[in-house]
Amino acid sequence: MAQFALVIDLNTCVGCHACATNCKEWNTQAAFGPLSDFDPYGKEPQGVWYNRIMTYEMGEFPNTQVFHLPKSCLHCQDAPCVPVCPTGASYKREQDGIVLVNYDDCIGCKLCSWSCPYGCREFDEADKVMKKCTLCIDRIYDESLPPEHRKPACVLTCPARARFFGDIEDPNSEVYKVIKERNGFVLFSDAGTNPGNHYLPRTETKVHVDEHLLKHDNPLFLEVLRRHHVGG
Amino acid sequence: MHPPISLIWFFLTAGVSIGLFTFTYFMEFLTLFGKNTAMPKQAVIISLVISLVLIGLGAIGASFHLGHKMRAWKAIRRFHTSWLSREAVFSGAYGFVLFLYGLAYYFNANLFIQHSLGILTFVLGWLSAFSTAMIYASNKFVLEWNTSLTVLYYLNMYLMLGSSAFLSLTYFYRPEFIPTYLFLTFLFVSLGLAFRIAFNIRQFIIPRPTINEALNLPHNRPIRVLDTGTTTNNYCTQEFYYKKGKDLLGSVLPVAYILTFIVPLFLILYAWITGNYNYNFFKIAFASLVLGSFLERWCFFVEGNHVQNLFYGLYPEEGYRLRKGYMERKKTVIRL
Repeated sequence: MAQFALVIDLNTCVGCHACATNCKEWNTQAAFGPLSDFDPYGKEPQGVWYNRIMTYEMGEFPNTQVFHLPKSCLHCQDAPCVPVCPTGASYKREQDGIVLVNYDDCIGCKLCSWSCPYGCREFDEADKVMKKCTLCIDRIYDESLPPEHRKPACVLTCPARARFFGDIEDPNSEVYKVIKERNGFVLFSDAGTNPGNHYLPRTETKVHVDEHLLKHDNPLFLEVLRRHHVGG
Repeated sequence: MHPPISLIWFFLTAGVSIGLFTFTYFMEFLTLFGKNTAMPKQAVIISLVISLVLIGLGAIGASFHLGHKMRAWKAIRRFHTSWLSREAVFSGAYGFVLFLYGLAYYFNANLFIQHSLGILTFVLGWLSAFSTAMIYASNKFVLEWNTSLTVLYYLNMYLMLGSSAFLSLTYFYRPEFIPTYLFLTFLFVSLGLAFRIAFNIRQFIIPRPTINEALNLPHNRPIRVLDTGTTTNNYCTQEFYYKKGKDLLGSVLPVAYILTFIVPLFLILYAWITGNYNYNFFKIAFASLVLGSFLERWCFFVEGNHVQNLFYGLYPEEGYRLRKGYMERKKTVIRL
């Protein structure tokens, strides 16, 4: 069965929030909008976001590393939010594995959000229904868009190219390959949810320069210096 | 978790309704075995009307929890997977069959019809109670709730409320049953106390996930939340972490214990041992039980910690630390 999902490269994600803002910008005016805001220019601005970026620091000073974790609905293959919905408003599409909410059937009981271990569903106090990432389903199937634009808004906007989109079950897809090659992992792997969205782990890149290359009599000394110390 | 007052209202009204009906019908049921336990007709009618009104008020109150009240009927669709759907179906059916039973009893219908409806109401009522409890007990991401103790306490709460309410009826209509219901109330309140203490103790010993497990990182790397994406609260931090409630929990929980268990147990025991069946004792015991149960349910919600709080650094601290060369799980820290 096809499972469309996002793969996010934590190695290149710079935490710029562009994915979140473009997601909000697209979705608030598109088929699954609006994403209501409350008191947007006041002291306590609040609103619905499909995508939120968390920033964590790992390790102990001085050996710390900061990484950013963009978190939107993971479109779990065993989505725990779907069976608990009393009306069937929350459902998983068979053709592409995307988990959606039918706003016309949602009664706003919030039980689906209680059953999501990732906190990826948000209740819209204006529409009184539960909202969540749709993987921009209104973009990815829109034949009026050029094929290269038929991707979720967050993927298109990412300036660091840290986001990939595709069918993680298709061995020929880019996402399948990057998950396999770069040991893609999922959040809460033991929660039994089998998430669709994967993350590519951070890897530390260290440049090893042989001692003899740094000797003054090395004819390539200046070249080595330029490349590794000046940042060529 | 943020406590929704409308749900607590439903717990109490449905609890008194189903509990009271249970004991009212139990007395009728025993007459089938030749026992002289039937309550006077007036008492049964009063009890049935109270049960019916309460379940109706409970359903109306619970609908305030919903975003779209007029669509509530759609909740019957996912009966095969959703406990909330089952609760809606069973509690609705309970109210309807209870009404039919009331009519059959009032118009002295055939005994077979009366008892068939009575048994059906009883079964539906308890299925409704079980479904409500399972909504919480089946949520494996709120570890405090994800236990059979949640169901046991919840069903027992209905019995506590029902037996103490029925005690007042026996006082007026069949005083010879007062000792029986004093004993039953004492039994259920004592069991409730035992279940609640076990529920509280369990919170300190359940193995909890850590942020490292959530982020799929090795346990020996300390992780600190630097930023959660927004400068203010959002739905997740408000619905799953009730800051004000967490601050108040330390004061409210002892009061809930005193009102739900200590005061009723003291009054019931006093009446039982001294034989002084003063109506005021029963009245105060019931009122204290209802008020205490309200606070207890409030605490039940506030005590629940959703695992998504891990991403926000709001989950009870736990984790592993390196000690003497091996990884030792840290003790759970819960602020009471």
